[in-house]
Amino acid sequence: MEPFFVRYRNLLVLLALLAVQVVGLAVQVHRADSGRMSLDPRDSGGVRLIRLWASAFVSPPERLIHSSGLDLLDLWQNYIDLRHVRQQNQDLQKTVDRLRLEQAALLEDARQGQRLQALLHFQETYLYKTLPAQVIGSSGTTQSRVLYIDKGTVDGLQHDMAVITPDGIVGKVRDAFSHASQILVINDQTSGAGVILETTRIRGILRGNAQGQPQIVGIIADNRIQPGERVLTAGGDQIFPRGLPVGVVDKVVRDPQRDGFINVIVKPYAQLDRLDEVLVITSTEPRFSPDQQQDMAMSQALKGAEVQQEEAQKKASAIMAERLPGLIDPNLPPDQQPLHDSTPPVPVAHPPQPLRPDRFTPGTAPDLQNSQPGAPAQSAQTPQRNP
Amino acid sequence: MPVLSANSRRELEIHRFPVLVYALVPLTAVVLQAWLPRVLGRFAWFDLPLLIIVYFALGRPSPIQGTVMGFVLGIFQDALTQHAIGINGIAKTLVGFLASSFGVRIDVENHTIRVLLVLFFSLLSSTLYVSVYRVLLGLSLDWNWLDELLKAAGNSILALALFPLLDRFRIRD
Repeated sequence: MEPFFVRYRNLLVLLALLAVQVVGLAVQVHRADSGRMSLDPRDSGGVRLIRLWASAFVSPPERLIHSSGLDLLDLWQNYIDLRHVRQQNQDLQKTVDRLRLEQAALLEDARQGQRLQALLHFQETYLYKTLPAQVIGSSGTTQSRVLYIDKGTVDGLQHDMAVITPDGIVGKVRDAFSHASQILVINDQTSGAGVILETTRIRGILRGNAQGQPQIVGIIADNRIQPGERVLTAGGDQIFPRGLPVGVVDKVVRDPQRDGFINVIVKPYAQLDRLDEVLVITSTEPRFSPDQQQDMAMSQALKGAEVQQEEAQKKASAIMAERLPGLIDPNLPPDQQPLHDSTPPVPVAHPPQPLRPDRFTPGTAPDLQNSQPGAPAQSAQTPQRNP
Repeated sequence: MPVLSANSRRELEIHRFPVLVYALVPLTAVVLQAWLPRVLGRFAWFDLPLLIIVYFALGRPSPIQGTVMGFVLGIFQDALTQHAIGINGIAKTLVGFLASSFGVRIDVENHTIRVLLVLFFSLLSSTLYVSVYRVLLGLSLDWNWLDELLKAAGNSILALALFPLLDRFRIRD
């Protein structure tokens, strides 16, 4: 009779591996305050180590592929062209093909040069300090919209740094390894960015849906939201600076889970599926160009002149206050100050008696307490009307 | 469908490969799976690690080997995402075990059977993935079955070209 472990070894290995993974999953998931299950936003030490190993395993070949300039399309074209040359066996055709390839390579170089030039121009004129990086890989699954770039902690990258292109925002640094970083793209279901609609000023949270489209969720139905409206970052998430372009409203759909709420599908400005170069915002301290610094200095100088003018006015007021009599006389002792003067005030002078009193003269009003309804008015107090 | 009985499993040909193939092919699959979507964009309807798991599991009907390969490649794929490590691992481990078990009983040399098996295991892997994510972990996840169907079809088509290519590395007795 076969021993138990030998007979059922296949099943036991399967169960053991499944049990290890279930326990591992239980460690990574916890119950949030709202009662719902959620993944830890920051990986624990062991999980991060596995991710680090995987990244270290995959990044070098990806970097090699990227740096060698190999492209699937180029390989295919080169292969077809090579067969064509062999078949025709004509030197002229070879030359033409070679020139075509060179032209294609030059065109590709020129396009890359234009992209890098635009990126450099944007980086120079952009307010915050940024670091350019190359996209070298992805997660490989549609359930996880994650990219890998060729810059890491050695280059100064940290967790939660914003990743953008000159066109619009891309995502944030989810994890930074030594020579590579993992970028969580805005069209992933677990991402989140605070955004605002430019015209209607409606705020919301941007995250991805199952189709990989970014959408603003949790908005109360509003007829003012129309396709084509620009979407900007709101700046409240402590990751993306305020006012960065995100995209335009593509369409508005009902929230299937909540009545009265809508989801706003956003067409992103950045081509999230075809990213080559990105910028990582490494510091949100404003970095001003020489022109901007000159403008600010001029503004400061003008502001300084206004301050000087106010100071001069205050000084003149103080001098006037010293010269005019006041309630406090610095030359007198405290008990003789005008403020503490106990002498009775001068009686108020009464106005002189009128030469011709009339009914408006003080003291000529009839005594209402002793008067009776219907009694004739006193003739002595009736004013004489001049002819 | 040419199904063999359990008694005739010894008649099945067991595929053997150089050790280097066992090491390099899965690694290449993982690297290409991470790199090709960047080139192909949203048209990357395939799962190369799954194809490799199914191919080796069907060709060498050792459930332990298929299970371990599914475990390793699944964990590797999980490590490249931001999701919890083990979701793909569980799905691919079960796929590797089942594919090895199928390989014992079915003539996997037939291309039609291979394509159908890849289609089945692709859909099974997707189902297991979403089940682990939603049921076991209780996490919310939007799901698009059309994408998974396209991915399964893409895997099947790719298997038609990839499996004969890998057959060339086989050690002939």
